[in-house]
Amino acid sequence: MWSFSHIANEMHEGLSATFNPTMTLIIEMVIAGVAVIGLFAGLGLVLVIMERKVSAWMQIRLGPNRVGPKGMLQSLADTLKLIVKEGLTPNGADKFLFNLAPFIAMIVAMLLMAPIAFARDFQLWDLNIGVLYVSAVSSIMVISILMAGWASNNKYSLMGAMRSGAQIVSYELSAGLSILAIVVLTGSLSLSDIIHSQADGWWIFKGHIPVLIAFVTFIIAVTAETNRAPFDLAEAESELTAGFHTEYSGMKFALFFLAEYVNVFIVCAIGATLFLGGWMPFHIGNWQGFNHVMDYIPSSLWFFGKTFFLIFVIMWFRWTFPRLRIDQLLNLEWKYLLPISMFNLLLVTLMAIMGWHF
Amino acid sequence: MNVTQILFWFLSVLALFGALMVVTSKNPVHSVLWLIATFFSISGHYILLNAQFLAIVNIIVYAGAIMVLFLFVIMLMNLNKTTEPKKNRWLKLAGGVAGGCLLLVFIAALKSSEITQQTAEVKTGDIGLIKNLGRELFSTYVVPFEISSILFLSAMVGAVVIGKKE
Amino acid sequence: MLKDFLILMKPELVVTAILFLLLFIKIGKGIKNETMLPLIQVLLLANFLLGFFFNQQGVLFEGAYSTTPLIVFQKNILSLGVYLISLLCTDWLKKSQNLPEFFMLMLSALLGMFFMISSGNLLIFFLSLELATIPVAAMANFDLDKKIASEAAMKMILSSAFSSGILLFGISLLYGATGTISFSELPQLLDGSPLQVLAFVFLFTAFAFKLSIVPFHLWTADVYEGSPIAVSSFLSVISKGSVAFIFISTLYKVFQPMHDVWYNMLVILAIATMVIGNLFAIRQQNIKRFLAFSSIAQVGFILVGISSNDHTGLTSVVYFVLIYVFSNLAAFGVASVISGQTGKENIDDYKGLYKTNPFLSWVLALALFSLAGIPPTAGFFGKLFLVTAGASNGSYGFITVVALNLIVSLYYYLRIIRAVFMDKNEQPIDKIKINPAAKLGLLICGAGIILVGVLSWIYDYINSLT
Repeated sequence: MWSFSHIANEMHEGLSATFNPTMTLIIEMVIAGVAVIGLFAGLGLVLVIMERKVSAWMQIRLGPNRVGPKGMLQSLADTLKLIVKEGLTPNGADKFLFNLAPFIAMIVAMLLMAPIAFARDFQLWDLNIGVLYVSAVSSIMVISILMAGWASNNKYSLMGAMRSGAQIVSYELSAGLSILAIVVLTGSLSLSDIIHSQADGWWIFKGHIPVLIAFVTFIIAVTAETNRAPFDLAEAESELTAGFHTEYSGMKFALFFLAEYVNVFIVCAIGATLFLGGWMPFHIGNWQGFNHVMDYIPSSLWFFGKTFFLIFVIMWFRWTFPRLRIDQLLNLEWKYLLPISMFNLLLVTLMAIMGWHF
Repeated sequence: MNVTQILFWFLSVLALFGALMVVTSKNPVHSVLWLIATFFSISGHYILLNAQFLAIVNIIVYAGAIMVLFLFVIMLMNLNKTTEPKKNRWLKLAGGVAGGCLLLVFIAALKSSEITQQTAEVKTGDIGLIKNLGRELFSTYVVPFEISSILFLSAMVGAVVIGKKE
Repeated sequence: MLKDFLILMKPELVVTAILFLLLFIKIGKGIKNETMLPLIQVLLLANFLLGFFFNQQGVLFEGAYSTTPLIVFQKNILSLGVYLISLLCTDWLKKSQNLPEFFMLMLSALLGMFFMISSGNLLIFFLSLELATIPVAAMANFDLDKKIASEAAMKMILSSAFSSGILLFGISLLYGATGTISFSELPQLLDGSPLQVLAFVFLFTAFAFKLSIVPFHLWTADVYEGSPIAVSSFLSVISKGSVAFIFISTLYKVFQPMHDVWYNMLVILAIATMVIGNLFAIRQQNIKRFLAFSSIAQVGFILVGISSNDHTGLTSVVYFVLIYVFSNLAAFGVASVISGQTGKENIDDYKGLYKTNPFLSWVLALALFSLAGIPPTAGFFGKLFLVTAGASNGSYGFITVVALNLIVSLYYYLRIIRAVFMDKNEQPIDKIKINPAAKLGLLICGAGIILVGVLSWIYDYINSLT
């Protein structure tokens, strides 16, 4: 059967036959790196056009429709434009940090790809603390944003960076707590263990209301963490021009832009993995016939389908909710989400100990 | 020299260089960023010692949260080169002499100790893994654990009292 | 198991319970300070009294926590001190905006001290030392509208953070050199190699910071001056007492094999501390700064007692700390009453105090006599035992210096007594109406100063514990 793990194995065997183990490892690393970069570029193009089409659909208009069939090549053209544009560095900026910041944003996004399981047995690095790794590495994102905002030597940038920093640091808490709910249920931090624990049903179905609460908290928190509307105070156009990337242009701006979309993809992938079973097909109890039909759909399709559904949900938020004020934002986190998710974690722990879940 | 040793030396050099840059950077923001780099290399050391959980927690807590708060404060106060106070030349000299003496004492003490024959156990030992750590933390070391929780609580109360507007 | 745990850890559990009670009271509807303060005082009294019952000795958590009758007695001294502070500083506390928080912080510091005295390994020791320090730094800033208070808190937190850094460095070196952090295993592994000596010096430095031994005393005067008197007295009596207790027990039990090293260090530092403390105390004008330097000098005398290295040293130090709690708290208490009513803190303002406030003057005189070590008071016996313990090693040159310092200290304590009783002043401090609680506190202190010296069974009791 055609599958990612199959291709990976074929490749590994082919390489081992011709090269010695060290060389094989190096070549495989290079291939993985190229694949991740390719995925990045692909995701950037797809997600940008998706966002524009979704927004157009919500607002009953056409959206981009000139370049390519139905405007599908619009983001390719935009990328081309960004590449040929001049990258300006403002006067009085801290040149080194200013130029470093977009790359850090990019590197963080790339590192986050490592533990994600894209299909059955297809994972770059199955480390035993995968979930923690994701939250640790994503917390580095703030630093690149603060760096960019401060190094630009611009008030708007600094304000945007501050807002986004405060927002990310606070929403990380409830995101982490809702992730912990699933960790408590599975008893493992490894992403592949978490996926395998959902073979008989996804956690969102198995875990009753508490997991549902955790899921909702998670989605809200990650929307805030990726600085997307309705939590996009960091780049509130009406007040701050463009927030922390006001001064960026050309390719450096494109990197921030790309990192934002890739981050959205990653958090949705994590959400899909934790709550919706990752690449696990949809199974209903012991209904063998139905389960077999579901198994025929390739695991990668399941994964990408769930992930893109979540991405769609997050885009849906963006085009339907108005932006929050900063005090509302902080109240929402510290007075509502955090207490709720803490209590929820207790509830889930109780549930896991008593074995009340399916 | 195998990969582990190369990594060890690389991380050590990075950590020391980062730490030196923290102290010598004129710009406080650069200092903080170098400190973050130092934390990362220390996390690398943890991973070499097979303590992945510690490594990750080090990144989450220090690099991800505490240093961000540092950056916040420094950026808000807008400290930069011009606000750096001029230091007395004699004070610098005295500091240099004192630091040099300390270094000398350290080298002398380490040279004559038996530690030089002992080596760290790299890649072995499973105490740093999350399961064992959790067990230890809630059995043998439960008192320190609870003490630190009270410490954080009181620090929080103190901060709230000081920070609250009348 | 659970019963053992409840009984052995009783002092800590009681303090924790009060601490959380205060927190919950604060979270709920606000209670007026007038009703809150007596409640807190009663709770602290209960905490002190409970210290006398249901005591056992034993070890918990594989040696990480231990308690003996001596440790229980030390904890009782500290509880008594906290209770007295809550009485003496009534005036200031009533005006405080955040009364429950103040006592919550004070109790968490006290909890830290309890754990510190009972600690059985370096990890708990370090954490509890932090718990005993950080809340106090927040307390130092409780006069929120005073700039000098923020300065005091800042100085305190920075210097204590620095000393914690040094302490941690010492602990890590010691762990590297011996491979253990347990107090019971360390003595067998200590052989006085240079690395261990270095580690010990770092540890010693951290103790010296907390005890404000010269040359690590620079934070003391500024912090005492800036912080509210309740906090200054807490720092000078409770903090110092607790650190002195753990200091002496680590030196005697854990670092006994390195006795030669620390004996010399103690002698040098004791002389330096007494001399500097005394010399600076002479020229202070602010009563809090004056008491700060006097407490530095007193720590010098404690070091003399510690240097004896046998159980008379331990007995005399515990006995002296008990007396010191009464005498120093009485002095701070008088300063607190006067400052709480009039805001005056300068020694010149105290001139002619006897004319208008005889009671306060007598208590102050008694306290200063005791601090100076003049015979009818307990302070005399405390100093006497410290010095005889120090003299047991036979180094008479050292004891001569100590005696000279005693005479110098007489001079400046008597300077204040002269100001209070003899100096003329056109505008002496008005007649002060002393709050009943504060009066009770002053009376307890005064009685303590006399009785602890006269009743010889107290010393014998401590001696039997050690």
